[in-house]
Amino acid sequence: MIELRNVAIAYDGHRVVEGASFAVPEGGSFALVGESGSGKSTVLKAIAGLAPEREGTILVDGAPVPPRPTLESARLMQMVFQDPYASLHPRRTVDAALSEPLAIHGLKDRDARVERALRDVGLDRRFRFRYPHQLSGGQRQRVAIARALMLEPRVMLLDEPTSALDVSVQAEILNLLKRLRAERGLTYLMVTHNLPVVGFLCERMAVMQGGRIVEEAPTAALRTGDFATEYARHLHGATGADLMGPDLLEPESVDTAPMETEK
Amino acid sequence: MSELLTIRDLRVSFPTHQGRVEVVKGLDLSLGRERLGIVGESGSGKSMTGRAILRLIRPPGRVTAAEMTFDGQDLMALPERRMRALRGARISMILQDPKFSLNPVMTIGRQIAEALDAHERPSRGERRTRVRQMLERVRIADPDRVARMYPHEVSGGMGQRVMIAMMLIPRPALLIADEPTSALDVSVQAEVLELIDELVRDEGMGLILISHDLALVSRFCDRIMVMAGGEVVESCAAADLRHASHPYTRGLIEAVPRMDETRDWLPVLDRAARAGT
Amino acid sequence: MSAGPRPAPRSGLRDWLLAEAPSSRRQAALGSAYRTWSQLLRNPLAVAGGLIVLGLVLVAAFAPWIAPDTPYGQSLSERLMPPSAEHWMGTDELGRDILSRVIWGARITLMIVVLVAVISAPLGLLVGAVAGYAGGWVDKVLMGITDIFLSMPKLILALAFVAALGPGIENAVIAIAITSWPAYARIARAETLTFAQAEFIQAVRLSGAGHMRIVTRHVIPLCLSSTIIRVTLDMAGIILTAAGLGFLGLGAQPPLPEWGAMISRGRTFILDQWWVATMPGFAIILVSLGFCLLGDGLRDALDPKGRT
Repeated sequence: MIELRNVAIAYDGHRVVEGASFAVPEGGSFALVGESGSGKSTVLKAIAGLAPEREGTILVDGAPVPPRPTLESARLMQMVFQDPYASLHPRRTVDAALSEPLAIHGLKDRDARVERALRDVGLDRRFRFRYPHQLSGGQRQRVAIARALMLEPRVMLLDEPTSALDVSVQAEILNLLKRLRAERGLTYLMVTHNLPVVGFLCERMAVMQGGRIVEEAPTAALRTGDFATEYARHLHGATGADLMGPDLLEPESVDTAPMETEK
Repeated sequence: MSELLTIRDLRVSFPTHQGRVEVVKGLDLSLGRERLGIVGESGSGKSMTGRAILRLIRPPGRVTAAEMTFDGQDLMALPERRMRALRGARISMILQDPKFSLNPVMTIGRQIAEALDAHERPSRGERRTRVRQMLERVRIADPDRVARMYPHEVSGGMGQRVMIAMMLIPRPALLIADEPTSALDVSVQAEVLELIDELVRDEGMGLILISHDLALVSRFCDRIMVMAGGEVVESCAAADLRHASHPYTRGLIEAVPRMDETRDWLPVLDRAARAGT
Repeated sequence: MSAGPRPAPRSGLRDWLLAEAPSSRRQAALGSAYRTWSQLLRNPLAVAGGLIVLGLVLVAAFAPWIAPDTPYGQSLSERLMPPSAEHWMGTDELGRDILSRVIWGARITLMIVVLVAVISAPLGLLVGAVAGYAGGWVDKVLMGITDIFLSMPKLILALAFVAALGPGIENAVIAIAITSWPAYARIARAETLTFAQAEFIQAVRLSGAGHMRIVTRHVIPLCLSSTIIRVTLDMAGIILTAAGLGFLGLGAQPPLPEWGAMISRGRTFILDQWWVATMPGFAIILVSLGFCLLGDGLRDALDPKGRT
């Protein structure tokens, strides 16, 4: 569904991504993992057509991606951004945000579609005419997801969709994304720095560092820490399997040894 | 253990269109020279608690407490001038994002020196060595060069270490760290926390670590308080967190995806129980 | 949305307008307008400003009925009379009743102010929003032009235009409009730059929206409030520029009771017959103040964040 071959991306003449190649099958869920500045979000933007200075081949659904979003590409893929506070227009109601894609594409039956979209993402219809500032972070992210789904795309590009949310809200949004994918057979490409989230939502992952993909692995590797490259192991260690959940849940495996990190 | 900070029935409220709303509803706390973690989600009142201790809540916000004493001084009764002298010198605070807490047009060295000057009057030579030592202690490899740099020239992790240096150079007795690492990359987070941890132990300071990350707090603190909706719902030793009984705490623990995730769905907190979101 | 019953029985228009969950776009839009309105009413200064502006409009509309005299009725035997029961604002050097002239002048002032605002604010907004949104060479060219206009004193530039177009109040309006749009363009551009790269703009681009749609429907609404403030603050300046042109014989032509021109003429007698220049001056101050207060109130009321 998504295929990148030797893609290089630049901003103002500076190369920020080089030699990126990977493929996501139809209905698959793939994660790009890395720290800030690794170029992972840039790759996502390039696929969406928001990063014009690029070389190499980017194919989505077998066809090259246009250098900027078009009506056709809009119906094929949509994006959910990291910060739901920044991705909704502050002066437009939820209804206006959701109707806009329909208006652009001249689709009929807007009322019914907006109501259905709200229902699909688990928002009550009393939120329909609210402004973004009247919603909580989780509700805003639901609106952003609903907006992305308005045109019924087949590919969803997710840019850190939960990193600005509280953990309990994160769980809700992750469940929602997982359910929507199962229901609609969506293809996900997610960018994140949060490895456990990758383990929950994705099947394969690519680790990026300094603008390059250093390793591609199935997400099963997260359970064992079985990575080929030093950097991927370092990242895995820093997130700290020993620091997250299991300790808190299983009384016998208390591990208080401080973890080692080198800079 | 000598009490460093004692709080009884702390309440913080703000006026809204629906009348005054309490964001902290009667919090009790006593802290020795130990590490206390306050955990909660946004709106739980955890940050307001930190600010209330430093009396940083401005009108129309209102703070009341039956008792709030720090090292024998009544914080509620202290005049603002004495309070200012206390802030930074005896109680320091590290905020989330160094980008917003550092002055962009002043070199790092000068900012740290200022933090020192505000509370002591060291000689020039002494000041330079103290700044240098402090930068070394926060593991900055080339302190003289970094001291001459401006905040935008350093990375987020380095910036946060500079913040820590600034906050710790007057040798405070209590450090309040409000989400000190959530703006940083994961691989830097642990490093910064370990640094805070080490300095707190060395100096015998008290630490209040405010965070949304239960796992993180449980690793770096002796005691944990879980807050929700302005109230403390659970208070226990960090080691006992896995025995936590309150459903909210359990919910928080279980809602986080794990590295070895096998669950198909993540359990979700029942929001109906907590006045909606 | 077809068969959904209204969530609450219509116990009153107000409840319907303030419904928690409006059941249609129309209801939501009306409710939103109502909230803006009640927000505005809650601000006493804005209400005062609104009343002044409303007063100006009414006076202008009903000038023939309100004015005690015609603006041109000369009576040389009654020249330069101080304010009295007969002439509330006194008379000028040709014995014309100043109150009547001020009342008739409201029409001219209102026309100038409205026309200038209607021409220059949208033009400036569009130029600024396009420049800020497009960036690159479009930005450089548009802002270059803007800066050329900004670099010249307003009055002198207006003078040049009027000289080219010929004297008269319509040409004065055009000249003032041409000289005042650059300020709005600068404001709109600065505002646009703060969110041109924002994710909500990118999200609209990803929906396949064209540039024109983004600029007009998503960028410009966000620049509106600061432009409204600036326009209301500029009202006094516009009136004075028109007066300046009138003084130089290039704006409103002599018999017309234009406030600025009246001040200019009254200047000659300012020491002995203070009322000739002062009365129209009061009118200008009052109207400018009205616009400022109203603009300030509008800014608060138009921002949905200010509402509950």
